[in-house]
Amino acid sequence: MHDNSNPYAIIKTKVLQVITETPAIKTLRLKPEIPFSFNTGQFIELTVPGVGEAPLTPSSDPAKHDEIEVTIMRVGRVTEKIHQLKKSDTVGIRGPFGSGYPIELFKGKEVIVVGGGCGFAPVRSLMYSLFAMSSELKKLLFRGGCKTPQDFLFKEELIGWTKQKGLDVRLTVDKIEKRGDWKYNVGLVTTILDDLKVDKKQALAIICGPPIMMKFCTKKLLELGFNEKHLYLSMEKNMSCGIGKCGHCRIGTYYACKDGPVFRYDTIKNNEDIWE
Amino acid sequence: MYFLPKQNLHILLNKLNNKYTVYIPEKKNNTLYYTLFASDDDTYTINEVRACEPLKAFFLKAREKVSENFKAGAPSDHVKPLCIVGAKACDLKGFKVQDYVFLTDEFSDPFYRRMREENLIISADCSTTIDTCFCMALGLKPYPENNFDLNLSLIENGCMVEVGSDKGEAVVKNNKELFQEVTQAQKLKRQQIRNHVQKEVQKNIKKHGIPLEGTLKNRIKKNYSDKFWNREAKTCVECGACNTICPTCHCFLLYDQGDAKKMARLRIWDSCMIKDFATVAGGANPRPKLWMRLRNRFEKKFDFFPKVLGINACTGCGRCITACPAKIDIRKVLGRLAGIAR
Repeated sequence: MHDNSNPYAIIKTKVLQVITETPAIKTLRLKPEIPFSFNTGQFIELTVPGVGEAPLTPSSDPAKHDEIEVTIMRVGRVTEKIHQLKKSDTVGIRGPFGSGYPIELFKGKEVIVVGGGCGFAPVRSLMYSLFAMSSELKKLLFRGGCKTPQDFLFKEELIGWTKQKGLDVRLTVDKIEKRGDWKYNVGLVTTILDDLKVDKKQALAIICGPPIMMKFCTKKLLELGFNEKHLYLSMEKNMSCGIGKCGHCRIGTYYACKDGPVFRYDTIKNNEDIWE
Repeated sequence: MYFLPKQNLHILLNKLNNKYTVYIPEKKNNTLYYTLFASDDDTYTINEVRACEPLKAFFLKAREKVSENFKAGAPSDHVKPLCIVGAKACDLKGFKVQDYVFLTDEFSDPFYRRMREENLIISADCSTTIDTCFCMALGLKPYPENNFDLNLSLIENGCMVEVGSDKGEAVVKNNKELFQEVTQAQKLKRQQIRNHVQKEVQKNIKKHGIPLEGTLKNRIKKNYSDKFWNREAKTCVECGACNTICPTCHCFLLYDQGDAKKMARLRIWDSCMIKDFATVAGGANPRPKLWMRLRNRFEKKFDFFPKVLGINACTGCGRCITACPAKIDIRKVLGRLAGIAR
């Protein structure tokens, strides 16, 4: 936060590179005019001048302070404009906002990270933080799924993880067009949660993806014996001001922007609209 | 406590008009509206009831620039601070909610903060009621008890002045010659008027079958069904008037001036009754139905704020009843929530 006196002030930021990840997803490498740091799971508001801003969780390593990466699916008015950005364009950022992942609590635990689709963006940043503290984790597992191999975000990098020592990784896609496209699992993400070799009562799980995917993964993990206090979800709400004032992202007695966007499942489960 | 003779009140306002831009209620077509004070005009109405506009409008502007280009700090179009005269107890309660939203937490809102720090509030007792007044059901009195700099209680030939802050104390000190000591008879007169107005509010509460706030606890969660809220929202036209007129509603929308070269971000009041209020970029809407949004409005006021702040975010000012073109009456909704009306 460059300016504590005005949380609405925008930091001038240069677009260093635009990477096309999939037909609908691009990654922007950004260089803010002043040093900018965030904790994994916190989000920023990215401004396209004259258009508006969109809440995005960085996909890059929080340990890097000179530049950040955001990975964006084209879904609405602002993200459409973000997809038209080119190298050297000027944008703005505000933040970081929210509470992020409580990684201090993960020490000494078996940790399962479950990502789906565009949810790989925040999850990649989380994994970088977890890799950096891997000696302090009892075990680290990753489960990731996308619709098709063509939609698979960060495919090369994630396939690289499957070869990483001490890391238990499984990847899946919902469907394939022809054999040979994909040598990993085919089926929904829930189908690669059956073989988690962890103490289900003690293990922690982080789930990040489209609401429908988080809903079914939560259900599955609870069935497997996970404690609802050990599940961390990323809530997708209309986060605008980032500071719990504009009122748009309320979940029960919380604001997703201020108290989340990462929530422990038991703290929000009684709100009927969390999966919308 | 002091006594301020009627002619001295006008002198005081004239003096304050140098340092502040003074707004004071004036009556037009039987309704009070905040109007710019003019030294040659003393037709203002300080007592009676609350003005048409909510007091929040002077503190959280309906439209405001919150950032400009990539400049640090807050955009400043610094003008004279405001002095608001004749604000009523119901509006002052709105500050409890607005202050909680905009001044607590890690990030305080610099625009609201400046308004709260610089503006002067000279509130006043209600001397009468209108049919929609029900502040006492929400635990208030029809006269200010806190959150003012000075409070005026009009009696014959002038008003009694109560000091509520250091800022208010300074105003009295700097204008000592205008103030007199209060007599026992004047104190008695103020009490008589206050007692009378309280009885009038009580009559309203009885007449309209309005539940007292103590009976509203947990009633939202007990009446959460679509059946209940479908009925309440049947006539709603989604105009958002109830939000904009409400002293406690605080939601706002950030939007960019459509010029990439001279970037400016503005905020305007928003309404949770509008369909896309909570919709995300991908199109998912947690409250697609109108009845869900009406329920959300009541949930925020009578469940969220009691839980996070310990008070209902309603002041009994009755403005939303008058403003609603669909005749949705908060008094009746609350009666049905509490289970005392059908």
